[in-house]
Amino acid sequence: MTDTWPYLDVHQSRTHEPTPYEYKLAATLEEVYTREGHELADVVRGLNARQVHASDGSPWTEESFRAEMNRLGA
Amino acid sequence: MTLSSSATADHIYATGLRNQWHPVVPSHFVAPGGMRKVTALGEQWLLFRRSDGALSMLADRCPHRGAPLSLGKHLGDRVACWYHGVEVEPDGTVSSVPGLPGCSLEGKKLVTSLPVREVAGAILAYFGDEEHPEPAELTPPEPLTDPDVDAFLCYAEWNSPWRYAVENLLDPMHGAFLHHDSHTMFDGDTTAKFRIRETARGYFFEKTDQRGVNFDWVELCRTGVDWVDLSIPYPPSAGPGGPFGIVGMVCPVDERRSGVFFWRYRRVEDWQRASWRFLYRTLIEQRHWDVLEQDRVMLEAMPADADQRENLYQHDLGVVRLRRLYRAEAETQSTAGA
Ligand code: FES
Ligand SMILES: [Fe+2]
Repeated sequence: MTDTWPYLDVHQSRTHEPTPYEYKLAATLEEVYTREGHELADVVRGLNARQVHASDGSPWTEESFRAEMNRLGA
Repeated sequence: MTLSSSATADHIYATGLRNQWHPVVPSHFVAPGGMRKVTALGEQWLLFRRSDGALSMLADRCPHRGAPLSLGKHLGDRVACWYHGVEVEPDGTVSSVPGLPGCSLEGKKLVTSLPVREVAGAILAYFGDEEHPEPAELTPPEPLTDPDVDAFLCYAEWNSPWRYAVENLLDPMHGAFLHHDSHTMFDGDTTAKFRIRETARGYFFEKTDQRGVNFDWVELCRTGVDWVDLSIPYPPSAGPGGPFGIVGMVCPVDERRSGVFFWRYRRVEDWQRASWRFLYRTLIEQRHWDVLEQDRVMLEAMPADADQRENLYQHDLGVVRLRRLYRAEAETQSTAGA
């Protein structure tokens, strides 16, 4: 923590620098939200259609997507 | 003497209103067992936190000969001045004068200590003058206490007078211009009619002909602390959950500087909440920051006499109203001790 004026820190909410996987998932998620809508089923289908999978390489299910979001957005 | 009630109205207007709460710095600026020197309302203060988390705020001035206590030592439950070792408790009482045990300073409450509260990750303090030491009732902004609302605090320090930072928030029309190149405020008419709508706690300043498109309304809320509430739509890329809101507060640091507190909040649940939080941290926080930087660049570039040589029009009613309010209060407070 710095004591020097001014405090201007872009990132105040992060716990760590996002990994390449997290950046890719986030960017794809934004595209899916824009093109496919906001329903959970559409989001999961949209991610899988773009071959952007979970970190273990498996396609998303609603359950696994929900769990991953809860982990990353805790 | 801190926050004297004989301060002039001009001084109060320039350095912040007394007898109310103001935000000071984010909570995490003062670690458990830590101290931090801060400036607020034009005065020097010491924030002091015990290891169990209990926080206190003292005038940064040793009762002996005025050395800054912030240069002293954290002794766990009190601070020792570095100059001659006088020890001061979190409530401002001198507990010991090591150079002269039994000295009459011992046991006297000689250091101003301000009531503090922590709200949603920010330290708020009550800045009463000599006539009003008892804290005013404080109702924290409900978006920050509602369990169905999720919020991230963004804090920044600007070389801009505190009032310009508040006026900027009571001026929604700047959104369609200053923030035209932004992720959220690219849309909306560049002409509008505004009205003021009084509420029990302040007033709305809002467009009469557009809502939910740009930065279309703002409510000034005076609930022991001054804050604004506003709402801005997100683009579809932000996912489900609707618009985001901002609770804004400003710390008057001194005549030329302010600390700004913006909680970006959203009413979201379950996976939608988690998704927003994930996107916020990964991508959206940076974009919010870029918008805020547009405000900072503009406000820091405003000439010092900007508010002396203006030609206002209808869109500035919210600002005019704000100034009238603050000016009147500064006048009242300056004569409170007379
Ligand atoms: S000035 Fe602090 S102990 Fe003397
Ligand atoms: Fe702005």
